[in-house]
Amino acid sequence: MKKFLLLTVFALFMVITVACSSDSSGEADGSSDDGSWEPEEPIEIVAPAGAGGGWDTTARMVAKVFNEESIIEESIGVVNKAGGGGAVGWAYVAGHEGSGHNMFVASPPLLFIPLNGQSEYGHEDFTPIANVIADYAAFAVAADAKWDNLNELFDDMKEDPSSITVVGTSSPGSMDHIQFVKIAKAAGVDVTKIKYVSDQDGVGLTQLLNGSVDVFSTGVSETVEQVKAGTIKVLGVTSEERLEGEILEDFPTAKEQGIDETFVNWRGFFGPPNMDEAAVAYYEEKFKELSDSEAFADIRKQFGWDEMYMGSEEYSQFLGDEKEKIQTLLDELGLGQ
Amino acid sequence: MGSLEGILTGFQVAFSLEGVLFVLIGVFVGTFIGMLPGLGPISAIAVMIPITFGMDPAPALVMMAGVYYGAIFGGSTSSILLNAPGVSGAVATAFDGYPMAQQGKAGKALAIAAICSFFGGTVSVLLLMLLAPALSSVAIAFGPPAYFALMLMGLTAISSLSEGSTIKALLSAVAGFMVATIGIDAQTGTQRFTFGNVNLLEGLDFLVIALGLFALAEVCTLIINRKDLSQENTHKIGSMKLSKEDINEMKGPATRQSLLGFIIGVLPGAGATIASFIAYISEKKIAKNPEEFGKGSVRGLAAPEAANNAATSGAFVPLLSLGIPGSGTTAVMLGAFLVLGVQPGPLLMTDRPEIFWGVIASMYIGNVFLLILNLPLIPYFAKILKIPRPLLISLVIMFSIIGVYAISFNTFDLYMLLLFGVVGFLMRIFSFPAPPFILAFILGGMMEQAFRQSLTISNGSLMIFVQDPIALSLLIVSLLSFVFPLVRQLRKRKG
Amino acid sequence: MLKTLNQRISIVLILIGTGYLVLTFQLPSYAYVPADADLIPMVLGILLIILAVCLYFSKDSETEEQKARRNIPKQDVVALLTVFGFILVYIIFLEILGFVLITALFVFFCSWFLGYKKHITNLLVSVIFPVFMYVMFTEFLRISLPQGILPF
Repeated sequence: MKKFLLLTVFALFMVITVACSSDSSGEADGSSDDGSWEPEEPIEIVAPAGAGGGWDTTARMVAKVFNEESIIEESIGVVNKAGGGGAVGWAYVAGHEGSGHNMFVASPPLLFIPLNGQSEYGHEDFTPIANVIADYAAFAVAADAKWDNLNELFDDMKEDPSSITVVGTSSPGSMDHIQFVKIAKAAGVDVTKIKYVSDQDGVGLTQLLNGSVDVFSTGVSETVEQVKAGTIKVLGVTSEERLEGEILEDFPTAKEQGIDETFVNWRGFFGPPNMDEAAVAYYEEKFKELSDSEAFADIRKQFGWDEMYMGSEEYSQFLGDEKEKIQTLLDELGLGQ
Repeated sequence: MGSLEGILTGFQVAFSLEGVLFVLIGVFVGTFIGMLPGLGPISAIAVMIPITFGMDPAPALVMMAGVYYGAIFGGSTSSILLNAPGVSGAVATAFDGYPMAQQGKAGKALAIAAICSFFGGTVSVLLLMLLAPALSSVAIAFGPPAYFALMLMGLTAISSLSEGSTIKALLSAVAGFMVATIGIDAQTGTQRFTFGNVNLLEGLDFLVIALGLFALAEVCTLIINRKDLSQENTHKIGSMKLSKEDINEMKGPATRQSLLGFIIGVLPGAGATIASFIAYISEKKIAKNPEEFGKGSVRGLAAPEAANNAATSGAFVPLLSLGIPGSGTTAVMLGAFLVLGVQPGPLLMTDRPEIFWGVIASMYIGNVFLLILNLPLIPYFAKILKIPRPLLISLVIMFSIIGVYAISFNTFDLYMLLLFGVVGFLMRIFSFPAPPFILAFILGGMMEQAFRQSLTISNGSLMIFVQDPIALSLLIVSLLSFVFPLVRQLRKRKG
Repeated sequence: MLKTLNQRISIVLILIGTGYLVLTFQLPSYAYVPADADLIPMVLGILLIILAVCLYFSKDSETEEQKARRNIPKQDVVALLTVFGFILVYIIFLEILGFVLITALFVFFCSWFLGYKKHITNLLVSVIFPVFMYVMFTEFLRISLPQGILPF
């Protein structure tokens, strides 16, 4: 009987504490009468992936500059919500509808993953706040490969697609695959014949160096050091114009090789659905300040990121256009859901 | 600048006051975080990155490297004492470490783990220093067919992990492999067995299964035996002094598995976890008394501990000399380099010798510090076992819960932990061994991907596995290791 | 038909294997790779069933010690179920009540339930441990654990 008593006490405890919890959770809303808005409690940035990845790094660096440069006085915490390639984190933020103190960092997978049918939330469900940085794709081959530019590669692919293998980190239908397909399609390659393998342990570069595969589809910054050392060569990058910086400026764009297509790996921040307009305006301005700050310029330089600021409205427009293009590609590949 | 000159510069960096101080901080934080539930080297490095921002790169990186191998070093403690591995590289440590602690020899088990870790760490740093530039070609020698063959070799050892029925061991393995197929398939983007649940898209985390199958299943046994006084000797810690016999037992496995662990660590994508498993099973294969494995064998504890620490240093080969991160942990480590404005890659050794050699040289000091830090603390750690059973059970559960929660910050994984706790307990009472399950879970997933990558590259031809010389030789070795025991048995029967 | 334990386990495993195969056959196909997503699962499902059939016909090879593990007194089964119930409650309320509070409650009541009599020590441990862990994670390591209803 004593056990029974004990269980009852435990249950009672739970009930009481839960009951207490319900009064104390009144949502703070920082809107004042004149329409301006200021955060009133700590801000939470969700990195929808584990510690150490691109999203996590961006979020932590942004939080750091915001606080250290006193752009935002309220403290900012980065929370990791990993799973489903981001879907778990997005569902979490979607649960904070209307909050002005939650946001998450995102990049093109926010478009790919819903299109692949792997997340019920897409960018339309959230409030775009601002884009901050851009990165571009690079297509690399071994230094002694027979191709010297994208056109030579694509010509061979048109002739005998089964002889060329492309490697990337993400699975088919996501970033590394689609960025290659997008450019190849513009060059007239039959995209359904492209042989693509995914190597999720980030061993793509190894496979390129040991000759298992022929082309490595990756981010620009991952190639610089190898090119410097002369182990690989970059046939093309996906930016509009040539990039700046040592080595980077030598990479030809796809555009200048007559392939009229680009791919941007943008990275920006989103709020939950129906975020207060005044709050969006507040953050837009703060992100602009961040983007213009010297401290953040140093960080961009360190990680090899490009500056690419977009305010909420422009961002929203941009995302809509991008999504449409990707949708067309996926449909052609039979990957769209 | 020649290599020798570079090495000297490295030692100057490492043995400077600043260098020594930061190594000390690094390994201290590393072991500490490694002991905390769920926090492995990845989170340890990630949390240190913002701290190093703005620091001088050489001492900062020396510290980060210390955090990394320190975390692996510290991870074995909870494996041995609680059967609750805190990092995935320490799962194989629990196979013999925990039984040893249960026999009242916790002090000895922890001492063996610390010494073998130190040994593995030091041997591999030596190899790193002598061979790093040359080994970079080994690091890229393995293509998908060779990885497939390597994983297959690991899997063929499963029957040796069984304590009784081979059929049951194989069933465990197939089940573990099946669990590994849950999630998005990397080669096609197809969702497999996810039931539309977003939490399953990336598959189940290794620690969820390890903590469920080992820690929670053990909790169940503890609950059943909680009043059993004959188990009293588990409260004993025992002396941490090693006898001559112990040292003789340790010597062989520690040396062999340090070498093997180092080589596996050099291969991108393999890492400490696979190294520790392969070390364990290969040591069991060649042991004179394999039946002692799993029951507190000194060899069974020495092998994975030497190997996982050796693999950690091995992982620095592709990272430093090629700029290729071979694992999630080294990818974060690469991030740490970038933050400090250092780009690892083929040019690092000539451009920044003070960093390349400084990090390597500091590992000698780091390993010595780890040993000095850990040995005197063993009696205190081992006191955990003195905690009265009921309280200990509650704390192990808490430990497992934080461990799993810290992976994804998501309660879904906790339900999975509970589920695998039940599965682990059922497997235990029906005599299905758990190690084949976990081994197949980790090797199987990688094996499948490598197999299918190979087939895509070869346009569907199986010949690719025979044409690749590394793959072919590994396949022959696994075939032989399968056939030999059979032949031996047949001969015995005839005789 | 179901005389031995092995036979009963075997039937359960065959059912699991069949279910897994059914799911495998439902996987959508992807046209651009020679070995599709369902290849390995198909092999695994069939392998599981074959092995389960072998188990069905295999002799019982368990030692006495292994058999003894199944003799669990009824009161221990109740204890096991209760602790699992506690864990379930722990998980359900972790993000609602916050890490510190629910962990303290769990450690205290679980230890008490399992027969720990020193209530003062128990209380101290169950408060100090979670607080220590929480401060460690959130302040020192900057990894946030659920804060819940407590104000810090």
